[in-house]
Amino acid sequence: MPPSPALRRALIGYGLLAAGSLGLPLVTRDSYHVDVATTILMNLVLTMSLRLEISTGQLNMAHISFMGIGAYASTILMMRGGYSFWITLWVAGVMAAVWAVPIGGLALRVSGPYYFLITFAFSEVVRLIFNNFFAEWFGGPSGLVQIPKPDPLRLAGVQLTFVGKVELYYLMCALLLLAAAVLVRLDYSRFGLVGNAIRQGDVLAETLGVWVFRYKLTAFVLGSFMAGIAGAFFAHSHQVLHSSDFSLEPMVLLVVFTVIGGTGSVWGPVVGTVVLTIASEFMREFHYYEILVYGAVLILTMLLLPEGLISLPGKLGRLVRRGGGGEAEAMGAGVAP
Amino acid sequence: MLEVTDLRVRYGNVVAVAGVSLSVADGEIVAVIGPNGAGKTSTLRAISGLVRPSAGRISFNGTDITGWKAHRIVAMGLSHAPEGRRLFPQMTVLENLKMGAYLRGNGAALERTLQEVVARFPRLAERRRQRAGTLSGGEQQMLAIGRALMAEPRMLILDEPSFGLAPMVVTEIGRVIQAINRARKVAVLLVEQNARMALSISARTYVMETGTIVLEGPSASLRESPHVKAAYLGG
Repeated sequence: MPPSPALRRALIGYGLLAAGSLGLPLVTRDSYHVDVATTILMNLVLTMSLRLEISTGQLNMAHISFMGIGAYASTILMMRGGYSFWITLWVAGVMAAVWAVPIGGLALRVSGPYYFLITFAFSEVVRLIFNNFFAEWFGGPSGLVQIPKPDPLRLAGVQLTFVGKVELYYLMCALLLLAAAVLVRLDYSRFGLVGNAIRQGDVLAETLGVWVFRYKLTAFVLGSFMAGIAGAFFAHSHQVLHSSDFSLEPMVLLVVFTVIGGTGSVWGPVVGTVVLTIASEFMREFHYYEILVYGAVLILTMLLLPEGLISLPGKLGRLVRRGGGGEAEAMGAGVAP
Repeated sequence: MLEVTDLRVRYGNVVAVAGVSLSVADGEIVAVIGPNGAGKTSTLRAISGLVRPSAGRISFNGTDITGWKAHRIVAMGLSHAPEGRRLFPQMTVLENLKMGAYLRGNGAALERTLQEVVARFPRLAERRRQRAGTLSGGEQQMLAIGRALMAEPRMLILDEPSFGLAPMVVTEIGRVIQAINRARKVAVLLVEQNARMALSISARTYVMETGTIVLEGPSASLRESPHVKAAYLGG
């Protein structure tokens, strides 16, 4: 059976992501470029998994807290327990997922603004616990320092080390491609179809026999698992952890990346994260206005491109065919940062 | 097949359904007619598990399903096509139909049902790759019914299938409901404001006003009832 158009698009998208991320070090090994690129890949795991949750119609403001849970879990296990990174990495994900069950189970009983508020409140509680409580474990307000880098790995007789920036970049690359494979596969499966159905009408989906709550919780737990993995990478590549790494501000950035990119497609967050991170690097000298600019871009996107940047080519194409070139330029100007 | 006893539904302090009893036998078409706000939709929502009844008992095929979650009730063979032709507007016709068979997984039996449904609604076959939101009102209603049939239900609950449709389309919908009922031995509980259509295709009818059943009986005799004539058939 020949692949359906949707499957072909999925494979092409995944191929582009793999080629782009794996190929980057062939183009530049400049330390600053690799740093930015590593951050982008890590943020991609976060935004793509956040999109999985948003695609069931719920904006989880505690996504970054699960990254934090993973980061602290992996660090403490390695520094106190002496476990290898290749164990703590997965434990980080599992730990985030385990916490996601009761938190998601509680929050998903409500929806809309109430869900938003409950998850936001939870994220603040987590941040305050990291900052103020159990200081002998979480390091209190000064955080945790001197976190070891990932242990070397023997694969097929070859010793791989993860000390240099490019080596860490490739590690993140592997994690991203794994996560993306799972997310893309899900999106083009029955799971994705059901997710779409829930977003377009969750009561209706329920009348067709979908156990909506369980579906949303599955997305929540899986998304949190991926956030926990990203957290472990963050801890051992930055080697410093502080509660503010998991506060409202970076969470808002994740939301902005995801929503501006577009939540209707699995590729929306990829476009949003890549474009906005690179754009913000060009705006370094306006750092103090960064959030302000993001806010303005978010508003413009909502008004002009509610389906996100990912819908821009299709929209422009339609406008050009209709001969509405003037309007197309105006729309382009609204989102090109 | 369906037995509802003294059902009550309230939203906060508002009583929507104040003690309704009704029954549907195997393979029977039963209609509930009544004005806006009589509690018809609330009754259906309680039967299909979308709201929790505050009192009363609902049994389906001898099983007490009172207070069950909607997805479990669907799995029992009771399909609900909600009011307002609710579809997934961004999905194609085919995807909407597939969602109707959500509980049945994939396989040959599913493909056979799909062929049957599509054969019943040829317009849906022509438009299988079109987004549901772009269909006409009549086509959307056909799709909503077709989607409910994909679950191969033993009983179908239809909430105002004639809503907002042109008279000719209403007649067509009525014919389709009768045809499905005969061909598949599916029992139908039909809620309608269009009393003329409901009375003409159903075996028995309940008249519901302000949360209670005020009149019930064979549809043929209700058509002659002075109250029904005056209130629902325009004199």
